[in-house]
Amino acid sequence: MYNPKIIIDLIADNIRKTRNPFGIPKSMINNWWTETPVRPEGDTLLFTGLMYQFTPYIEKTTHYLERYEDTKLADYMQYSKYIPKFIAGTVLALMTPGKEKKKADTIVRNIVNILAKSNVEFYYKPELDDYSGILLYDLGDQEGFVRHAEFVAAKLKRAGVRKIITVDPHTTYALKVLYPKYIGESFEVKTYFELISLRSKNGGARVTLHDPCFYGRYLEMSDVPRKVLANLEIECVEVINSEQATNCCGGPAESVSPKLSKEVLDRRVEELQSAGQPIIAMCPICLGNLKKSGTDVEDLSSLIARSI
Amino acid sequence: MTLVNPEFAEELERFGVNTALDCFNCGTCAAICPLIYEHFPRKMIRYIQVGARDRLLENDKELWRCLHCGLCTYTCPREADPGELILGLKRFIVSNWRRS
Repeated sequence: MYNPKIIIDLIADNIRKTRNPFGIPKSMINNWWTETPVRPEGDTLLFTGLMYQFTPYIEKTTHYLERYEDTKLADYMQYSKYIPKFIAGTVLALMTPGKEKKKADTIVRNIVNILAKSNVEFYYKPELDDYSGILLYDLGDQEGFVRHAEFVAAKLKRAGVRKIITVDPHTTYALKVLYPKYIGESFEVKTYFELISLRSKNGGARVTLHDPCFYGRYLEMSDVPRKVLANLEIECVEVINSEQATNCCGGPAESVSPKLSKEVLDRRVEELQSAGQPIIAMCPICLGNLKKSGTDVEDLSSLIARSI
Repeated sequence: MTLVNPEFAEELERFGVNTALDCFNCGTCAAICPLIYEHFPRKMIRYIQVGARDRLLENDKELWRCLHCGLCTYTCPREADPGELILGLKRFIVSNWRRS
């Protein structure tokens, strides 16, 4: 296990200085929109929260964390905060394979296409799309979270944003529950699959959904993706511990203890594999972590996009 | 020897820890928690209840093994919100680190 103080200080410092946990310039992370036609003005803002775009960097970072956990080198991590963010972030960005970045961008593009095919009107402005700060909240750095959330919300309010479409459970929970509770700022927040109304007879597939803790338990919305898949004639084969009683994939522990994360992951994968069907994730953290097990897993948006 | 501090639960309230005394230590949370072998989070909640501030500080890093998955809160028969209690303890510890 890493010293949580070192990890929290590093992440908090990165977020304070660069507005994201990795210290990577946003221009290197968020590029999916450059090759995708999206309206720049409108009534409802698509707010990705950058979580899917982070997945290749999470994978790269946890690869090194796994390697040095419980070794003498682990304590040297505390000195990494002295490396200028621009250098550390750029090096991490350059070390991360372009293929993985493209895969992450494809997920966001799929979501955009799904919304467009459902005739949902929305607009996108990359300058308004920021990380929600939820990792600081989860790690207990409440002051850091509040400070960052105030920055994000103030920018949205200045731009006149009232309605937001999110794409992942962590950002959805942050904007829907934490921002009103801790900084007194409210938006009308819907996640993308609440808005889609697609039917298809091309389905016939059978899958197993892994409900993320935030969608399944905290936001109690597990019925929504199941209805979406039923409309596409895709059958969900349930496993023990699903919906509100879903089991964690272990992802949240990966920054502090990759060993613990893997232990929890192995147990969850065993449960999910018991159904004998391809596994569908709907959270970037779950998706990245489940992939580490080598199991057959893809994002909900990829399945929907392929079925319509 | 561990000193107990009856005011400890009060001290924690400003970090959002305000349901610890609702817990009757049944252990449902420890049984459902993915950290199955560590008696977590029940042990930490007991530390709050008896005011074992020093014991908690000695074991503070263990709090970050919590995945914040919410299964304990979902199953708690007393609605004592153990998940939020652990998050509140993390806030308390981070605040202590920053002050020291």
